[in-house]
Parts: sequence; C-alpha cells; structure tokens
Amino acid sequence: MVAEASERLVRPQTLAGWLCRPALALSLPAMAVLVGLGLAPLALIAIWSFWSFDPATYWIKPELTFAAYRALFETGRFPVFVRTIGLAGVTAVFCTILAFPAAAVIGLMSGPRRAAILVVLFTIPFFTSALIRSFAWRLVLGRTGIVNEVLVAVGVVDQPIEWLLFSNFAVAIGMIAAYLPFAVMPMVLVLARIELSVIRASGDLGAGFWTTLRRIVLPLSLPGVIAGFLFVFVVALGTSTEIQLLGGAGDSSIAIMINDVMRVVNFPLAFAIATSVVVLMSVLILLANRWLGLSRMFEDLGT
Amino acid sequence: MKERVELGSSTALALTRRQLLQRTTLGAGALAIGALGLPRTLRAARQINFWASATLDIGNDWQAFTKETGVDVAFTDNGNDPGPVVAKLAAGNANDIYDVGGLQGGSEKELAKQGLIAPWDTSKIPNYGTIWQWAKDIPYLSYQGKIYGIPAVINADSMIALQDKVGKVDSYGVVFDPKLKGKVAMEDAWINSAVFTAIYLKNSENEKIAEPGNLTRDELGLVMEFLIKKKKDGQFRTFWNGWEQGVQLVANQEVWVMTGWEPIVYAARERGINAYYAVPKEGYEGWANNTILLKGAVDRGLSDTAHVFANGMLAGYYGCKLGTMRGYVVPTDNNGKYAGTHPDAFDPAKVKALADHVKDKFAGKVYWQNTRPDNFQLYEEWWQKLRNA
Repeated sequence: MVAEASERLVRPQTLAGWLCRPALALSLPAMAVLVGLGLAPLALIAIWSFWSFDPATYWIKPELTFAAYRALFETGRFPVFVRTIGLAGVTAVFCTILAFPAAAVIGLMSGPRRAAILVVLFTIPFFTSALIRSFAWRLVLGRTGIVNEVLVAVGVVDQPIEWLLFSNFAVAIGMIAAYLPFAVMPMVLVLARIELSVIRASGDLGAGFWTTLRRIVLPLSLPGVIAGFLFVFVVALGTSTEIQLLGGAGDSSIAIMINDVMRVVNFPLAFAIATSVVVLMSVLILLANRWLGLSRMFEDLGT
Repeated sequence: MKERVELGSSTALALTRRQLLQRTTLGAGALAIGALGLPRTLRAARQINFWASATLDIGNDWQAFTKETGVDVAFTDNGNDPGPVVAKLAAGNANDIYDVGGLQGGSEKELAKQGLIAPWDTSKIPNYGTIWQWAKDIPYLSYQGKIYGIPAVINADSMIALQDKVGKVDSYGVVFDPKLKGKVAMEDAWINSAVFTAIYLKNSENEKIAEPGNLTRDELGLVMEFLIKKKKDGQFRTFWNGWEQGVQLVANQEVWVMTGWEPIVYAARERGINAYYAVPKEGYEGWANNTILLKGAVDRGLSDTAHVFANGMLAGYYGCKLGTMRGYVVPTDNNGKYAGTHPDAFDPAKVKALADHVKDKFAGKVYWQNTRPDNFQLYEEWWQKLRNA
C-alpha cells in the first residue's frame, strides 16, 4: 500500500497528475519564463544565423547558407574573437585567485552578521553603472590621473606612464574590479557549507594550514571556484564598456563586433557571432561539469 | 549629431522583414506610442509628430512655437543614428506614427528611392527662400530634381587643439604627425574620421579623391589603409565616442589634438584648458540635420500641416531658441530678424554672432558629411577592419 502510494508520487500517470506535484507546479512559471524569454529567442537567433543576407535590400531571406559563419573569419573578426576569449579568461583567472581568500574569510571565518556586511561591501561596484565605473578608471589611470600624479610626485617616474590607460592593462584592471564579486559569491556559498569540524579534524590529525587548504578546503570548494570562474568569464566575454572606454584606439570585442554588424542591419552575421558564443559557453560549462564536477556544488559538502 | 546605416525594400519579403523589425524595435515602438498618447485618428488635425534627433527638441518651448505657427508639435527622439531610423521607416511602423523627420543628412536619396518620404513643395514654404543659398545647395537634399530635405541645423567641424601643447595648428596633418604619436585622437565613426582623413589626403597629400564625403571603393581603400597603418604605428591614443568622452580627453589633456565637435572646446575652456578650434587649410567637414516629410503624413492628409510646420522652423523663433539652447544654427537670416523684433526674448547681437561664426566657416573650403555614401556597407566593413587591426 505504502509502495503503491510512493509509486504514484514518483510517477504520475496523467498531465493533471504531473501538475499536481507541488515542486513541479511551483517551477513551471520559472521554466516557462526560461523557455519563452531565454531559449526560444536563442533558438530563433540560431536559425536566422543560417539565413542569407541580401545586400540589395539589407534584409534576410530564409535560404540556408553558411555565409555568416564564413564571415566570422573575414575582416579580422576571428582574432577579435580569440582576443576577447583570452581577455575574459585572464580576467576570470585573476578574479578567481583574488576572490578565494576573500570568500574564505566570508564563508569560513565570519559569523552571519559580519559575512552579510562583507557580502554587501562586495556588491558596492554594482551600485553604479558599468559606464560610470569605467569612466572613473580613466580619471585614475590617465596621464593626469591620481596614479600617475603620485608616481611622478614621489619620483618613481619622470613622466606619466602612458600605458596605464588605453591599454590591455587598463582593460584588465577595469574588468577585474568590476567582476570580482561574480567570483566571490559562488565561492562563499560553497565555503560556507563546509563543516568546520572537518577542518578541525584535519588539524587534529596533524595537518598544517597549507595542507588543510590543499587537501581539504580546496577540493571541497572546487565547484564554487569553477562556478566563480565561469560567472566572471561569461560576463567578461559579453562586455564592451571597459574595452571601449579603457582599451587602445579602436579596441574591439565580440560585443562590439555584434554592435557593428547590427548597425548595417546584417542580422545573420550578428546572430552567427552570438550563436558561436553561446555554443562556446555551453561546451565550456559541459566540460567544467564533466572534468571538474561542477554539479558537486549542489551536493552536501559537510561529510 | 552624427551617424549612419541602411535598409531597403522588398515586396516579396515584406512580412518577414516586418516581423523581424517589429521584434527588434518593439520596445522603442511601444515607448513611442506611449509618448504620443492617442491614436493618429484621434489627434488634432493640426498636430505634427516630429521624429528627430534629440538636439532638435526645444522642450516646453514647442508651446510658443505652436502660438507662432498654429501647429501643435509632439516631439519624439529618433536616436540620431540613421541606420535604425531608416530601418523603422522601411520595415517598421514609423511611417504610421510620425509625420516629419529630422535626420543627419545623406539618407534622403535612399528614402526617396523607396518612396518612404515625399518631396517638399517649396511654394508652400515661404521661408524656404530665406535659407542661405549654400545650405540649399547641399547635394543630397534633392533627388530627381525634387527637394526632399530642408536643412534645419547646419555647422562645420574640424579639430580641437591645445594651445599650450601644440601651438597654432592649421592642418589635419598634425593628427597624423609621428611627433604627436599617442597624443591625438579621432572619433570612433567613419562618418567623420574617414571624411577628415580623405580631406587631408586630398588637399595635403595630393591623393586623387573626388568627394571626401562619398568615396569610391578605391578611394576608401586608400583612406582606410592609411588609417590602419597609423593605428598600428600607435598614432592614436584612442578613438573617442560621445560627448563625455570627447570632453574628458581634452579637458584632462589625454590628447593634444583631436578631430571633433566645436562645443568640446567651450566645455574644455570652462575647465581652464587653453583649447581652441582649428581652422584647417584643407577645409571643414560640413554637416546638416535635415527636415524630411514622411510619406505617412501625406497619406493621412497632413501634408499641408507639415509644410506649415517646416515653414515655422525657418521663421525665426525656432532658430533663436535652438541657438540659445544648444548653439546650433538654423540657416536663415530670419533668426536675426526675429531677435531684432523680440529683444526681450533673445539677444540680437548673440544671434548674429552665432550666425556669422558659421557663415565664416562656410566662406572657406567645406566638404559635406554624408551619412549614406554610395559604398556605405563597405565603409562599415573597413571601419571594422580598422578596429580589428
């Protein structure tokens, strides 16, 4: 009797039965939003990326072609693709390295009150727009900016350093400062779930700080570290503001390329670039899950 | 007051085009309809929906314009980028909503070809005759002998220079001078930067360039290869974009010379920077923002009202108000006459000084900016190559 009831709970026989399952019913609105506003437009974009572009009318026709994907390798687009991925990767690596100690302090060493305060502090960069944040860096890193003025005043350099602004260095600084919180948050969530008794046990068994960090904390927090890396990587991959405001003359990125081709109404090419990014990100997430156990973030880490 | 792009017509694909444009412009369309408040049929017969660059808006002073002309004006910002504007006219619902457009010059021919705008009947615009002749002569205002664009605002651009750093300069050559490597900038837009470069190469390097604002395929290649080489050499500190960036670059002395808009000089001076607007021997880049009559207005029987509106823009009040608010010049002496008869509202000396300043620029060599050159798709391709170089 109990087994029968349990079977009914697990396997409803009708649609009404499915809808009666509270968990499923509760998740339906979110799933509808995800499919309607997220996946469906992405599918359309992917389909339209294979349509042909008519330069006479500047419009698209439902004729299958790979022209937009071939155009990815023209006009210097592919190097920009690679450069953006590289820049996003560097940003994500630095953010991950910088975020881990901060997340450890918040997640492992702070009580709820202090942890909440620290988390709020990390969200401060989001209180203003990306444009304002990047523009502020111009005033800090510029020829007459604070950094150069201090360096010249204390005699470290005779002339202002030119490459502090409008360079890859400036872009990296702007992006790391902006996206660091994206790496901190998932790490905090994972680190906070590690039972302190596990760490104490490690100490009781003779492990020092570094051994405990390497053999206990890092393995247990790895899914959060990977998630933090991916969050930063995804956001950095799609940004244009920091590159436009802090990069060198005419520096480009994937987002800027999309904007450029949208201005000439070349929708298939814009969609092809966007689709390529989505595919790349999907592959990365799948690989991260397969090789680094991203799904472990949702497991119990206490024991 | 800049920018570009294009979209054509296709009867066979009208539904597809419309669907896609509607998706991409849904938000803007909804906002526009919301702003207008009432369906077209319920609006006053003497109301004109003016869809133009935000800089042409005189805000609450449209009420005074209405008193002067009898035409009620509902203003909507069109974003200033000709690309989306043309797209919304060709495949969106802009012609169903708006009556008169205001657009950076160059798209008139394309819009007229597609039947999206109608020619003006200048006999119904008495003030048309008062427009300065050289402004009426802008080549892209007419198509097949009919006038499609009326210059509403006109000016000429060159470059901003820092007196204390570079002294007095009178050639665009300074922008490309290796001695100023890393201390110059150009705008991140082919619409201006390609034209400035072409003007320089034509006049100072004796390159065979017929019309800097409308380059042939070979001319464009020459100009853009030159820019790409300069970029690779590290000549440019950056390519700037937008008012704030332009002002910041000059005010913080990040660059010593920069092609750009004259108001940036005034903003820099307010911050104590000794900047000036150069008078290049190669000539200025002239530009105009033009009033166009949308075909939808004609279909709705609003053509006469639109003509009264266009006439009103040239009558003096609008020119005085725009000059006071933004320093822009409507190319007619009616501004001065209006200020003379309304000294309590406008300073006649200031109105005259503004007009004279622009006239002086156009007394010399000027090459017109064109938002829609014949090879405009190629311009975009080359500009992307420059970015990606």
